[in-house]
Amino acid sequence: MRNRVREQRTQRGLSQAELAAALGVSRQTVISIESGRYLPSLPLAFTIARFFDLTVDKMFDPDDEEAGT
Amino acid sequence: MMPFIPPRLRKPAGIALAGAAFAAAWLVRGGPLWWVSISAVILAAARAVSWYRMGGEDTDEGALAASRADERQHLVSLQSRALACNLTAVAAFIGLTVAIAVKAAWWWPFLVILAITGFGYLLGLSSYGSGEPDADDDADAGQPERSPVQR
Repeated sequence: MRNRVREQRTQRGLSQAELAAALGVSRQTVISIESGRYLPSLPLAFTIARFFDLTVDKMFDPDDEEAGT
Repeated sequence: MMPFIPPRLRKPAGIALAGAAFAAAWLVRGGPLWWVSISAVILAAARAVSWYRMGGEDTDEGALAASRADERQHLVSLQSRALACNLTAVAAFIGLTVAIAVKAAWWWPFLVILAITGFGYLLGLSSYGSGEPDADDDADAGQPERSPVQR
């Protein structure tokens, strides 16, 4: 599943550590989500989408099998 | 669990407590091997300190050691424990099979371990499973079910 976490984070000039702190998760989890190795839970997916002012389906694209950005 | 203890101290405290209990068992047992209790205390203290230090690291292991794991790290921990349980069950089955083959008297601990792992699995299914065969469509299930990693 493709996601736009890395794209949105870099657009806002945030480091992975800063995003992790804002989302209340570890830096390793942000790395895993960005690389597509970990699919976040629904609550975390909503938290991520809301943080970037996007909807979940804009943030995560289930039709794209390609992981990461 | 143990909310009165700071998160980073919880696992080290558990290790220290387990070491103290093990040492106390050797002391109560008495006999010439009483010194094992001192070794157990020293080893447990060293292990508790190393876990505390690991808890300060910015890694998955550090987060688990410091009881501050997020959902992915909880999942990693759960999967690791499941793997450990599977290996234990396989090893116990092999041990039981070998013990039976050689007519050894020490077959029963393997059976106990197998029974505990099997019981634990069934307990997990009944605790976390959502199998409600008699439930009607649209039945109000009450509280929404949550992932065990977020309990």
